[in-house]
Amino acid sequence: MFHWLEKHPFFFAVGVFVTISFAGLVEIVPNFAQQSRPLIGTTPYSTLELAGRQVYIKNSCNACHSQLIRPFKSETDRYGHYSLSGEYAYDRPFLWGSKRTGPDLMRVGNYRTTDWHENHMKDPAAVVPGSIMPKYTWLYKNIADIDTAFAEQLTVSQFFSVPYNKPVPMKDGSTKIVKMGGSVAEANAMALAEAKVIVADMKDQDVKDAVANGKIPEIVALIAYLNSLK
Amino acid sequence: MFSAEFQAYGYLAVTVFMTVSLYAYIYHLYKNRKDADGKDYEEYSNMALNDDIADTPVNALSKDDKK
Amino acid sequence: MENRPLEYDYTVAKMFMLTTVLLGIVGMLIGVILAFELAFPGINTILGSGLAEFTNFSRLRPLHTDAVIFGFTLSGIFATWYYVGQRVLKVSMAESGFLMFIGKLHFWLYIVGVAAVVVSLLAGVTTSKEYAEFEWPIDIAIVVVWVLFGVSIFGLIGMRREKSLYISVWYYIATFLGIAMLYLFNNMEIPTMLATSAAGESGIGAWYHSVSMYAGTNDALVQWWYGHNAVAFGFTVPIVAMIYYFLPKESGQAIYSYKLSLLSFWGLMFVYLWAGGHHLLYSTVPDWMQTMGSIFSVVLILPSWGSAINMLLTMKGEWQQVAASPLIKFMVLGSTFYMFSTLEGPIQAIKSVNAIAHFTDWIIGHVHDGVLGWVGFMIMAALYHMAPRVFKREIYSKSLMATQFWIQTLGVVLYFTSMWIAGITQGMMWRAHDEFGNLAYSFIDTVTVLHPYYAIRGVGGLLYLTGFLMFAYNIYKTMTAGKELAQEPANASPMGA
Repeated sequence: MFHWLEKHPFFFAVGVFVTISFAGLVEIVPNFAQQSRPLIGTTPYSTLELAGRQVYIKNSCNACHSQLIRPFKSETDRYGHYSLSGEYAYDRPFLWGSKRTGPDLMRVGNYRTTDWHENHMKDPAAVVPGSIMPKYTWLYKNIADIDTAFAEQLTVSQFFSVPYNKPVPMKDGSTKIVKMGGSVAEANAMALAEAKVIVADMKDQDVKDAVANGKIPEIVALIAYLNSLK
Repeated sequence: MFSAEFQAYGYLAVTVFMTVSLYAYIYHLYKNRKDADGKDYEEYSNMALNDDIADTPVNALSKDDKK
Repeated sequence: MENRPLEYDYTVAKMFMLTTVLLGIVGMLIGVILAFELAFPGINTILGSGLAEFTNFSRLRPLHTDAVIFGFTLSGIFATWYYVGQRVLKVSMAESGFLMFIGKLHFWLYIVGVAAVVVSLLAGVTTSKEYAEFEWPIDIAIVVVWVLFGVSIFGLIGMRREKSLYISVWYYIATFLGIAMLYLFNNMEIPTMLATSAAGESGIGAWYHSVSMYAGTNDALVQWWYGHNAVAFGFTVPIVAMIYYFLPKESGQAIYSYKLSLLSFWGLMFVYLWAGGHHLLYSTVPDWMQTMGSIFSVVLILPSWGSAINMLLTMKGEWQQVAASPLIKFMVLGSTFYMFSTLEGPIQAIKSVNAIAHFTDWIIGHVHDGVLGWVGFMIMAALYHMAPRVFKREIYSKSLMATQFWIQTLGVVLYFTSMWIAGITQGMMWRAHDEFGNLAYSFIDTVTVLHPYYAIRGVGGLLYLTGFLMFAYNIYKTMTAGKELAQEPANASPMGA
């Protein structure tokens, strides 16, 4: 049976392929639709938040921070309610991470502020003595790529029907609309408006000046994203 | 719900089938000792040991085997 | 031209041997830097704060994993394929101009791909998915490289003189098919340049950016189906291919049981793919899938140990060879580490153990006893075995090889013991509650406590890197200064003092 295959490479290859694809078909395919349904109250990311998410990915924050709270008392005590599948419906890619060198960030928006992040990202050990997190000083200088974030919004709304500019149901029965710009210029203007709210709570003069001049440093976008994690 | 049940029974049936065929195959291998070409399976180990290009193949590929 | 008898042609094998050594040094060096960055965070800005963006932990970390997986290991797989493939099929690449061309094209495109990966990861262009960080243009290049590898495999098989495929060839075929399937499905993504705004603008933003086809939990499921099985088809299957050829050949002993190899191959193929779910225990993927991930991880011990035991029993009655030859030491310790990490993996996949181990350094330890002890040792042994035959010279120094073996073994032991302790300590501290039911430790307490273990791990890594540099030197000297051989050695590789 199997030994015959060794003398017939084509059928051997087919045999191997069938054997290894079997598990994937059974495990992954049947639950696909069900798992991608958003939870009530989960909203798509705004342009600035998405730009911040790209900064998070660009700097591989997920190499050290998870975004997955497991259903244990020790984890819910520390980080908040355990994670639910529908909360990730708009996460492309997922950012669960595989290592907690630093704490989980799934609901960091609930207990950290703009001000805290600003100080912490500049010099983590000054805020948390003993921290081994590197300083992320370049985030205060590099300008966030709003255009690409906007392109990502367009892509997910066109290809995956992510509900931008459409009412999304909230937990209290009301609805919320997450707006997306109609053009690159409009998207940039919307992101800048969001950035101004964040920057109002910040102290770094260079960052404030940059935003006043219409440019959004990466740190502002990143903080917008972290604040949205609830 | 139906699909989950189907998945579970399908999975069980396949696992049982696989296990039975695996053990049957082990039994077959050790009972016959030789493959369809009349070679003892263990002779095939020599493919690694006598692997100079001038060595004689364990089981040479004849012209009519090619397709 | 004189009429010479037909010989195996190792041109392409030599090229990939070179990249195995070079990318090995790069990957391991970055690994050591990362290890010390965790122990001493000041190293993050070692080249000044202006360049900190490119020297800090998070930017280098994907570069380390990818350099070791897709640089060192993959080069090693290619190098051994272009060597072993010809020999067990008894056909020379010199017999086909087409396959020689494909082989060289395979190599040069691979080099282009590696360069693109290094630049893009340093620039922070990444999809964030582990071991699949590359954006779509590089993904396409990788697919092309992989197709060329497939053409090489099946092209050579098509010309073979030996009717049956040797065990190693099964594993190479499985590597090719497995990675192809996994990579394609995990990297399904839509380039953002395809979207159009309401105002009619298109091609907005970075041209190389893309969005994953899967969202959230599905994305995680596909990623860890990939991530786990990339380990299967990158770190297990092809390395088993190597040991099935190199250990019998070097020792002159036939495989203990050909029948057992047949069973463990099909067993491994069937079982491995199910175990990916163990990366997602206690997450939001369905329960039955998590349980299945656990169960199959435990079942996986059987086929894994089937191969490993087959290897160790091949040395039955020949243990004096292990004492005499450092080359055989590498392979025997390699298969021992293989048994060890294929036992450790299933233990970590048991749900209650995973509750403590997940997200901690114990997982890092597990990966490294597999990669340093099994993959690294086996690839180095393979190259040591190939060098005298490819360069027609004696291995430069036996004593250097023996010293390297002990230095690296010590390195691996320091690495995984420190990571065990670190992981279990941290896992226990995270979950500790005091008498009033409050958390006993703040997060930072569980970080500072790890400092000594991080330092020991760094030393372990440094020892391994030192050994690898000795390996590189030994191979280089073999190429240039080893005593020339009149004819190819049949079994044991000749070594100078």
